[in-house]
Amino acid sequence: RVFLSLSVLSLQFNSDSAARHSLYVKEHKVRAEKSSHRPLDRTLFVLNIPPYCSEDVVKELFSQFGNVESVELRDHPGSTQESGPKLSKFFRPAGKQGFNVGYVVFKKSSSLTAVKSHPHDVPLVVCTEQRPVRTGVQKWIQQYTQSFIHPDKLQQTVDSFMENYDKHKEEEAERQKKEAEQQKEEEEGWVKVTRGNKGTKARPHSEAANQRTLQKEMRKKKRKELMNFYTWQHRNTQKEHIAELRKKFEEDKQRIALLRAQRKFRPY
Amino acid sequence: MKKKQAATEEPAEVNLDTSEENEAPVKAKRIKPDAGEEEEVVYHPVKLSRNDLYRPPTAEELNQLKEAESLFHCSLLKMQMGELLKEVALSERRKQQIDSFIQTVTKLFQTVPDSPEVEVSDLSWLSGTVKVPFLLLPKITKGKFHMAPPASIDLIGSYPLGTCTKPHVMVDLAVTIPAVSHLSIFFQTQYPRKRALYLAGLAQYLTSSSDIGTMRYSCLHGNRLRPVLLLTPPDKNSSSFTVRVHACPPPGFFKPSRFHPQRNNIRTEWYTGLQTSHSESSEPPTPHYNSSVLGDLLPRAHLQFLSAISSQCSAFADGVALLKVWLRQRELNQGTGCFNGFLASMLMAYLLTTHRISNTMTAYQLLRNSLNFLASTDLTVNGISLARDADSTAPTLAEFHSAFQVVFVDPSGHLNMCADMTACTYMQLQHEASVSMQFWDNPTVDGFHSLLMTPKPMIRTSDHVFQLCELVKLQSSCKKLNLLSELMDHSGNYIHTALPFILSLLQQGLDQRIQLLTHSLSPDPEWSVESEAPKYKAQPPLSFGLLFRPELAASVLERGPPADSPKAAEFRQLWGLRSELRRFQDGAITEAVLWDGESMCQKRLVPKQIITHLLQLHADIPESCVRYVGAMVDDVIKSETKDTGEEKSLAVVQSYDDLSRKLWRLEGLPLSITAVQGAHPALRYTQVFPPKPLKMDYSFFDKEKTCRSLVPKEGKPCPAYITPITVICHMEGSGKWPNDRLAIRHIRAAFHIQLGELLRKHHKYTCRPCPTHLDVWKDGLVFRIQVAYHREPQVLRESVNPEGLLVVRDNEEAQALEMATIHKPLLTSTLHGLQQQHPCFGAVCRLAKRWLGAQLFTPLLRFNHVFPFVEGVFPTDFSADYTEIKNGFMASRESLPVMFIATPKDKKLSMWTRRAPNVQMLQRVMMVAAESLKVLEQQLMDGNQIQDVKVVMRPPLEVYDAVIHLNPKQVPLLSQAVDPPSVTFSRGVMTGSAAQSGGSLPVIDYNPVSLYLAELREAFGDLALFFCDPYGGTVIAVLWKPKAFSPVPFKTSQVSARSVKVTGDEANTVPNVEAILEDFQIMGKGLVKSVEARTEKWSF
Repeated sequence: RVFLSLSVLSLQFNSDSAARHSLYVKEHKVRAEKSSHRPLDRTLFVLNIPPYCSEDVVKELFSQFGNVESVELRDHPGSTQESGPKLSKFFRPAGKQGFNVGYVVFKKSSSLTAVKSHPHDVPLVVCTEQRPVRTGVQKWIQQYTQSFIHPDKLQQTVDSFMENYDKHKEEEAERQKKEAEQQKEEEEGWVKVTRGNKGTKARPHSEAANQRTLQKEMRKKKRKELMNFYTWQHRNTQKEHIAELRKKFEEDKQRIALLRAQRKFRPY
Repeated sequence: MKKKQAATEEPAEVNLDTSEENEAPVKAKRIKPDAGEEEEVVYHPVKLSRNDLYRPPTAEELNQLKEAESLFHCSLLKMQMGELLKEVALSERRKQQIDSFIQTVTKLFQTVPDSPEVEVSDLSWLSGTVKVPFLLLPKITKGKFHMAPPASIDLIGSYPLGTCTKPHVMVDLAVTIPAVSHLSIFFQTQYPRKRALYLAGLAQYLTSSSDIGTMRYSCLHGNRLRPVLLLTPPDKNSSSFTVRVHACPPPGFFKPSRFHPQRNNIRTEWYTGLQTSHSESSEPPTPHYNSSVLGDLLPRAHLQFLSAISSQCSAFADGVALLKVWLRQRELNQGTGCFNGFLASMLMAYLLTTHRISNTMTAYQLLRNSLNFLASTDLTVNGISLARDADSTAPTLAEFHSAFQVVFVDPSGHLNMCADMTACTYMQLQHEASVSMQFWDNPTVDGFHSLLMTPKPMIRTSDHVFQLCELVKLQSSCKKLNLLSELMDHSGNYIHTALPFILSLLQQGLDQRIQLLTHSLSPDPEWSVESEAPKYKAQPPLSFGLLFRPELAASVLERGPPADSPKAAEFRQLWGLRSELRRFQDGAITEAVLWDGESMCQKRLVPKQIITHLLQLHADIPESCVRYVGAMVDDVIKSETKDTGEEKSLAVVQSYDDLSRKLWRLEGLPLSITAVQGAHPALRYTQVFPPKPLKMDYSFFDKEKTCRSLVPKEGKPCPAYITPITVICHMEGSGKWPNDRLAIRHIRAAFHIQLGELLRKHHKYTCRPCPTHLDVWKDGLVFRIQVAYHREPQVLRESVNPEGLLVVRDNEEAQALEMATIHKPLLTSTLHGLQQQHPCFGAVCRLAKRWLGAQLFTPLLRFNHVFPFVEGVFPTDFSADYTEIKNGFMASRESLPVMFIATPKDKKLSMWTRRAPNVQMLQRVMMVAAESLKVLEQQLMDGNQIQDVKVVMRPPLEVYDAVIHLNPKQVPLLSQAVDPPSVTFSRGVMTGSAAQSGGSLPVIDYNPVSLYLAELREAFGDLALFFCDPYGGTVIAVLWKPKAFSPVPFKTSQVSARSVKVTGDEANTVPNVEAILEDFQIMGKGLVKSVEARTEKWSF
């Protein structure tokens, strides 16, 4: 069965399960795919992977169609954005346990056609005797056991990260310094005279500071204004006051009407 | 909003409530049906044209605006008052109905035929089924009687005065007995009897008329000597008003001075039927009897007086109506000894005549001033009198005070209008008035609503309530208290005779423990004209309400005077055998009574012990007659050890204090600790089941050697749940902290390791550091220490945009962190302080949370933080929780979260409720709360029902689409369930005292049920809602979201757990329910017993 260029595979948990989930697969096709680890001709895009299928399980499931190079599970389709330094597993945020989409990269592109031609009524089986999948209480106990981290190992991770971080920082500082020097030299013999390091304060580099200066200006302007000085000004203020009272009165009247409609005034 | 609601056809929907008022509980059912009608009125912003706003004001308009601005907080209050008055005032149509009915009745009365003269004892002329509303005993009377048309028929009371209010419109009609009816002045014998006969005669005449609906007898103020006849119109709206016919003696029929409160008008000899040696002069005075007779004579004079007053003051009628509404909400306006509408008008008249209020004041000011007067004046000590120039025969105020508890003398100077009122009722009135004044002056409370709209029945305002069930027993207490002459004065009503004495006895016994003792007012009996008057004992049981002083109420020791002081005898007399001589630590030897009670929950019942003991000892009322309502719901928060956990919370707090001290003293950290704060419900006394120190049975677990931790074993029941108690540990700010979010997290982890190391070295605690926290095993409890850096939220918010400008953007992550490390600890310490002020706060919170949990609401409402603002307005013990829940749902405005809770630190955003409850959920909670309140109150007040307060804790499962039954073996909190099962499982806990610190770490925070729920919600959160009682629930209820079940076109982002149906060109998806139900099984393998699908809902 094929629709919208997707083919449907069915999947069941183990061989006695009665109900089946449907996996929707097609080849990965994106106009501008930048990352190299999803080669367009060899990547299979899989929708609706149940929560109990981890990356390893998916790899096992699809290896019947050919050798699988890598599997990537995500909670919604989209390109990868990798940022920041590589984190150790202790510090990585926990993944979501819901239904996932997957990108399965095969070694050969011929595997894709094998998948697509797989008959709909022969289900993939997640949990077999050869490779049992833990769920429920078993899984939670396993999770609990794996949550232990030996302090020494943790300390090591922290130390190495901080070392990297410090190095990175230093490099950054070095780079900036060099840039500044370069700029100086570029200006053909002219040397710009600044107030040294303090000079950076002259122009604020944050949004908050910008706003502060703006507000200061406003306040200055306001202070100069005279309120209630001329008679017409005074009269206007009074007028405004009455208008305000009237408006409030109208609002209250409406609110009362609403409450009355809801019979909120029956005391008993 | 309306549209959205129509689309989601939640079964448990009520209409949306867009206003900011909270719903009074009793009205929950009323708002349901008229949803359609409401559709028309929608609140939209007012648009006034420039012309409207700026046109020149008229003088009248200016005045009006000024008044609204200065008198009321805003014009809203003024309008609310106006609307309320409109609701209670009689409509013109109703008035016409009343007038025409009165006319027909008057005409009928005037045509009463004269009957031949008969002996009084001869009742043969009274043919038919009409009975005489009077006990015709003793039989010896002689005299003549015959019927004749009344001498005059007048309207009296509130109707002609214009102060009559809905509901229960009562129109009083005075019928003057003609002089020819041989009314004689032998009062005790003839007058009441003949009057009763006259009423019976009228009733008999009216039975033949078709213009009269039902006829019933009643009696004024429960006094059997003052029968009245109640008439209703015959048509279908007969319940709309009642005409009360009083038979009155002709004016000037007797001299008022004869009924001086110190004179006797009933001969003991006649009353008892025995010859006694009393001489004329030594007969006991009969003040109550006297005032009841005087009351018959004066109504017309009172009406004249009041109408004169009301014609001077334009707002008089409105003011009285408001005061009547106020009284009615407090259940003070009906029954014997009440503060009825007549007294309200008289009070208003008194204030006007003494110029406490001026004639030009508005109704609102009248109400406010009269409440102020009530709050500040004690009529039990300083009575007031309306008599301007009383004649010399009138008694003095002192004479009134010696005869009555509360004194308010009428314009004639002879009658005390508060004769039947007990001092306790007046105290209650005074208390309510002063509380109301406080409410009014408090700008944060909606005064109008809490004063005039919210009913305050006794069960909701008192801490404890008890009832006297078998009122016959009061007869014997009259005997025991030796009250024969008083009994005579009350003409045999033993309940009213004994009541003041019982009240003073209790007041004496409870003394410092209570702020206020209140009692229910017995309602006026009503019976049909064809039956005999009901017995005194037939009235509903008497209820007494106690309002405690929290600091003294639960003390187990009653310390009396020193043994040699003269007061000792009095003390011994009061307490009987319970009084013992005791030697105290300060060396004094005094009389004392020691009550039983070890834990807090037993101590709370000390007042019960006192009450039953005193009643048994002095009033001969056995314990079986006392139905004590108080601390009944405590059962559900009792743990296995049968206490309510206050002590355990305290133990946790002490252990935490110790840990925090030790943390402060740690040396060798690179940065110092600036603050240690608790952030766990147990540390603010609101954990439903406070954690208790445990000792682990190592053989029950697997062991993880490297980390010295225990691990749950497969195949065994789930180990006992150990909740980690969160402690936030703030570190000093320093330039050494990095300015990068990841680096901060790593540094934090390093701190956790180091803290753990130091704690292990110096104090031998077993610790386990993680990147996010450090678990410490101490005194059988687990503390979870989280290091916090005060700038971290700021760092999370900062980012550099492409132009190199530093931008600060608020984000979820930063908010969550701020909440956890700053707001939560702050609130915890605030609530901790609150608990010190209001000791029942913790218990109330825990009950409320238990209830929410049991009704399967917990995932949606995080109630931990709701309570500081609804705190002890009513510091009640057992039902306050429901009242407070409702107070919690105050404001729901369009732009803000549905449930808005302001904290001292957070006034605009309501950060605790931004995400949690949505409109539907809140509605459902309110509805269920209202229903539960109803059930609970009924059960608490009705003696006949079997008391099972747990009913309100059992949720109905019918409304849910699927139910997942869990295996009790794997539910670690099973013993906390509302109905704990009889089977228990070994959970690896050893009995005996808690483990010393050290040893392996137990299994921490491992609860399969919550893990399962989290997985379910992550996987199926957009298809269904999952509900589970977190306190030992063995059932997970599933509700499909109707929206998710309508077919949607295929989208790659929306295919989770859905199957595709291709019809023609379209490919739609619907949830694959069979597979989902099976997934429930698979994901909860070992935990799930069975999955039960209840509806076929997926076939939409």
